[in-house]
Amino acid sequence: MGRSGGQIERIAASWLARRDGDHWSLADQSALAAWLEQDPAHRVAFLRLQAAWRETGRLKALAAGTPQGQLPERGAWRRSPYFDPSRFQRGDALARGGRRHGSRPSRLASPVAAVAAGLLVILLAGGLWWWRDAGHVERGAWQTALGGQKVVHLADGSTATLAGDSELRAAMTRRERDLDLVRGEAFFEVAKDHARPFVVHASGYRVIAVGTRFDVRRESDGLRVVVTRGVVRLQSAVDPGKAATDLPAGSIARVRNDEVFVQHVGPEQALQHLGWRDGYAVFHDTPLVEAIAEFNRYNARRIVIADPALDDLKVGGNFRLDNSDAFVRLLQQVFPVRAERRGDRIMLSRTERKQPPD
Amino acid sequence: MNEVLDAWFAREVLAHEGALMRFLHRNWRDHDEVVDLRQEIYVRVYEAAGRRRPDSPKAFLFATARHLLADRIRRQRIVSITAVGDLEQLNVLTDELEPGRWLGGRDALERLARALDRLPDRCREVVWLRRVEDLPQKEIARRLGISEKTVEKHIAKGCRMMANHFYATSRADDAGTGDGSVGARRDNP
Repeated sequence: MGRSGGQIERIAASWLARRDGDHWSLADQSALAAWLEQDPAHRVAFLRLQAAWRETGRLKALAAGTPQGQLPERGAWRRSPYFDPSRFQRGDALARGGRRHGSRPSRLASPVAAVAAGLLVILLAGGLWWWRDAGHVERGAWQTALGGQKVVHLADGSTATLAGDSELRAAMTRRERDLDLVRGEAFFEVAKDHARPFVVHASGYRVIAVGTRFDVRRESDGLRVVVTRGVVRLQSAVDPGKAATDLPAGSIARVRNDEVFVQHVGPEQALQHLGWRDGYAVFHDTPLVEAIAEFNRYNARRIVIADPALDDLKVGGNFRLDNSDAFVRLLQQVFPVRAERRGDRIMLSRTERKQPPD
Repeated sequence: MNEVLDAWFAREVLAHEGALMRFLHRNWRDHDEVVDLRQEIYVRVYEAAGRRRPDSPKAFLFATARHLLADRIRRQRIVSITAVGDLEQLNVLTDELEPGRWLGGRDALERLARALDRLPDRCREVVWLRRVEDLPQKEIARRLGISEKTVEKHIAKGCRMMANHFYATSRADDAGTGDGSVGARRDNP
């Protein structure tokens, strides 16, 4: 059985604490991935601590009335409005503070009004110009080759980073910023413009953002959206009656068979899924088909799965995207997989040896 | 998809840890083995769910626990008589345990606050600064005048203790009163 539950828990905790620190590297990440793959007991212990650690962040709700940098005394919670609603209604320090702030705007009212009036004039003038120009559409289309990567500066000041073998089209009007991810994957840094929603169309969904950073990837049977900053709204473009899903920073949404699954991992972990921007792919129990699709976006020599039985093999770890040979070598070492080079293709099939009957 | 499985596991299985621990303490004589048992039960549930998600995660969790205890008893015959009062009884016991809504906002928050209050002073301070004030470990080290390595150790200890206290109190301290509760409180200071 190896190590006891208590020992594993201790090791899992030290991994978690290290990852939480400021010196976490890609090498550490692969070492952790390897440790997690080694034994499901590791994975489960880590998951458990991670879930609790994430929950601990909810204590922020209690910090609302506490000055920054000041640790509340033990048991001080009992006085918190969360646990004693009657106090909240009577109005303790917390509530009073809020009200005092609330009264301030009245004193400022007249200067604010003056400024607002000025703004209104400017806006009207701008509006006229805008109105005349509303029909104008700025279009653009960009593509990346295999292994390529391209940073596109869009007309509105946003940028899109295209992954390998991807295609993006843009249509910017005064009213809308419409992007179409035709294939592949792109990471968006969106310039704030509340008047013009930034909408990415992909796989029958609309991914809508206002001032935010997120990644959209078309997958063989759906879509993945990773949000690293701000809020993004995910909406079916095919079925407008379907409820939209709001994704805060740190969420990963996957669409499969028209069903949306959302996972909240926190912004730091969400970033790990964007390793492609640095030339890395990070896999956690990723089906082989998906992993290979990723490599094929970067390498002219395509990997092809010749035997569908291999589709569901799960792979984990960090890999350089431009080195598919190393990936294939590793596959052969770890799995019952045979690789055969045929021209510009690498064909993967199952090794002849059948599993022993049990 | 593994990430979906992980999220499912945290939501549907870990939510019942308090009840599971009480069940194990009540039905297993050697309380030192309970953490290992819990671990093994989690592994079995996680692996089974990777193949197919059970319809009722809670029922599946306790069925797995019962099987594991039964296996153990069968394997170590000699211990069996003292280990468990009556194997059949295991079926009855799970039904009385109702963990309640795990993530129910206020309840969870209160349990988190209690768990935090049980940490030793320094550890509590570090966890607060990291998790509530969102300071990086480096900054916490600077502020408290300790090394980053020490901060990391407090975090490691803090997350373990938070997990243990938080899950152990997942409600139902009142539901199963009496017999098993001594064990469930073993890790209190």
